[in-house]
Amino acid sequence: MSEKPVKPLKIALIGNPNSGKSTVFNQLTGLRQKTGNFPGVTVDLKEGNIRLSNGEEAVIIDFPGTYSVYPTSSDEKLVAAVLANPADAFFPDVIVYVADVTNLEKHLLLLTQLLDLGMPVILALNMSDTADTMGIKVNVSKISDEFDVPVVLVSGRTGSNINKLTAEIEKLLKNPVTWKKRPIYRLNETEKQVAETVCLNLDVDNNYRALQLAHHHKWLPFLKDNERAVLATIVQTKDFQLLRSQVDETLDRYDRFTPIVQDTIQKPPLFPNTPTDRIDAILTNKWLGPIIFFAVMMLLFQAIFDWSEYPMTWIEDLFSGLNDVILTTFPTNWFTELLTDGVLAGLAGIMVFVPQIAILFLLVTILEEVGYMARVVFMFDKFMRRFGMNGRSVVALIGGSACAVPAIMSSRTIGNWKERLITILVTPFISCSARIPVYLVLIGLAVPKVKVFWFLSAQTLVFGAMYLLGVVAALASGWVMKRWFRKKETSFLAIELPVYRMPYWKNVWLTLWEKVSAFVLGAGKIILIVSIALWALSRFGPGTAIETARVEASIKADSLHLDSVHTKDYISQRELEASWAGQMGKFIEPAIRPLGYDWKIGIALLTSFAAREVFTGTLAVLYNMGSSESEINDRSDNAAKATLRDKLRREKFRDTGGPVYSLATALSLLVFYALAMQCMSTLAVVRRETGSWKWPTIQFFFMSGLAYLCAWVVYVLFS
Amino acid sequence: MMQRRYRSILDLKIKESAKALAISDSELACKLTAMGVLPGTMVELVRHSPFGSAYYVKVDGIRFALRAEEAASILLEV
Repeated sequence: MSEKPVKPLKIALIGNPNSGKSTVFNQLTGLRQKTGNFPGVTVDLKEGNIRLSNGEEAVIIDFPGTYSVYPTSSDEKLVAAVLANPADAFFPDVIVYVADVTNLEKHLLLLTQLLDLGMPVILALNMSDTADTMGIKVNVSKISDEFDVPVVLVSGRTGSNINKLTAEIEKLLKNPVTWKKRPIYRLNETEKQVAETVCLNLDVDNNYRALQLAHHHKWLPFLKDNERAVLATIVQTKDFQLLRSQVDETLDRYDRFTPIVQDTIQKPPLFPNTPTDRIDAILTNKWLGPIIFFAVMMLLFQAIFDWSEYPMTWIEDLFSGLNDVILTTFPTNWFTELLTDGVLAGLAGIMVFVPQIAILFLLVTILEEVGYMARVVFMFDKFMRRFGMNGRSVVALIGGSACAVPAIMSSRTIGNWKERLITILVTPFISCSARIPVYLVLIGLAVPKVKVFWFLSAQTLVFGAMYLLGVVAALASGWVMKRWFRKKETSFLAIELPVYRMPYWKNVWLTLWEKVSAFVLGAGKIILIVSIALWALSRFGPGTAIETARVEASIKADSLHLDSVHTKDYISQRELEASWAGQMGKFIEPAIRPLGYDWKIGIALLTSFAAREVFTGTLAVLYNMGSSESEINDRSDNAAKATLRDKLRREKFRDTGGPVYSLATALSLLVFYALAMQCMSTLAVVRRETGSWKWPTIQFFFMSGLAYLCAWVVYVLFS
Repeated sequence: MMQRRYRSILDLKIKESAKALAISDSELACKLTAMGVLPGTMVELVRHSPFGSAYYVKVDGIRFALRAEEAASILLEV
């Protein structure tokens, strides 16, 4: 499954969703954790290190929250697959099973399954702090006796007894006992026959693991074809009813551990009307619920833009300052240009989005930690299913208005693969922050400054319409894909709505750190490479084309008596034309002419492929702006934009002599930029999340094709 | 009309509870039992979702959201 070097000691953290597992993980590892990126696996696992008292390092792997070894989502399948295969790279030496002590009667099913698999297990009874305040009494030593495992009562939030847990882990690592007075669940006659036959044929030494192979023979990734065939034959000849057996086993296990829980845990009677009930009466109310949700989303949206403005300006200033320092201290040559126009421009392109991504993740993580997201899933499941998605997709789509990259990463919580895939494919339709500068320039050009209603200007309306276009495109393509992807896979809503809790800040900061660094390192690498490549393409041309263009342009500039600034711009424009990028723009001109674009817009389209925000900068250079790219990118400098607009207004087609930037062309460009896939980082993250280049390729052609078609229709309608 | 031996969450009024007897669909049974929705426990309907077709229920004090198909598969005592 993975080519990772074999680590000496592996500790698995396993438990139900909402058991507070990740909080315990954070307590055990702190910042010494990372999200592994394992080839061929769509689910990332977090790993962390702990140092044992003898100086040895052990790896802790945080497995996805799981209810049972009978999986219903890709997350749970991963856990079942690892536990069924002792040769797996993740197969643990020791398991720390985390259970919510306030809900123990629902949290022990998987523990009994792990014990029957013969795994060395420590039971960590989490949330001891909540249990204390609720007045729950726990007889730890009796639980330990009954299950014959070490038991530690811990609190991930307060950190209480975490060192005791570490000590138990160490003890068990040194002496990995598996308890022989098992199994907890006794196989029935058919199951026994199946398990024994599997043991004989496939060399398995644990009856329950053998039974697992039979249960999961259809999908377990590590099975060889002949093994799968043998298992299928065994299942068939023994007439082994998989689902029936799984349900019966589950119920039998509950019958065995429920009395133990009742014997060892003393709970005060439940209050009928807890704070969670009172909050949910408002937050999930039939009418108020959606209204509050939209209000929360507007706030989130507002925060992303408002709070990020200053840090974004600082980052821009920092990079333009660095740029100046390099320009003044280094000699003017190609290497300095590569540093400033390639590397620095690329780095700035990554870093400038970090504030928005950080704020988005901060707020979304808080909503998640508090328990609100599960309620959103409940409220919007039906609505999103009409469009081939899941309640969870709302979260990704909203996130897409800042940046599609983290939004796509947040779709991991969707269990059903088809619904998750559709969410990944349509999220980039939502207008992200990188489209804003493009919209500003084009709307200013095409839409007159008139008031439509008493306070709304036509320009504002078009701006809003661009966002609406994105939402409509996302939902409509979801609707189409739902019918297109025929694969039928059971889809579940069935989700636990956890008790509302205050966010645990250590979790929030660690998640934030993890997401932001994943963006900078992962997607950032791609942006950097592409911007260096773009720099090279526009800096160099075939043969001596650039030199020839420079000489010709300076002669022409002389004859036109241009001043020094205009001469410089004129030369750089001619150079760009002669470069590889310029050649490419001219090459694609016939293809984009039906949309009303000339070759210069063609270059802008090509440079925008890597990142759409390059558009305004490219146009600034192309249209002889007399100002640097940074001035145009500076959103506060409206004057620069106005000049660009004036220049664009005066542009004429070479053949017809008509204006290039008619209303039709500008609207057509707007629609194109709203719908087209012009973001290398998004494609890179889609590849990472889907595990192959197949889906990003389809996404690229689907989105860009749709953009071309719609832009053409708009151009024809308005010209 | 034949008298019905079971009803489901879809038949419950808000705040009404009934004892779960069984789960009719085995795939759903596998998922729901693993989550702790067990025959013999009391199921209370708390509210309907805003766009319909989803149910907020309480089982043994634990809150769940279920789709109509999931809710319908839980057979309740009449």
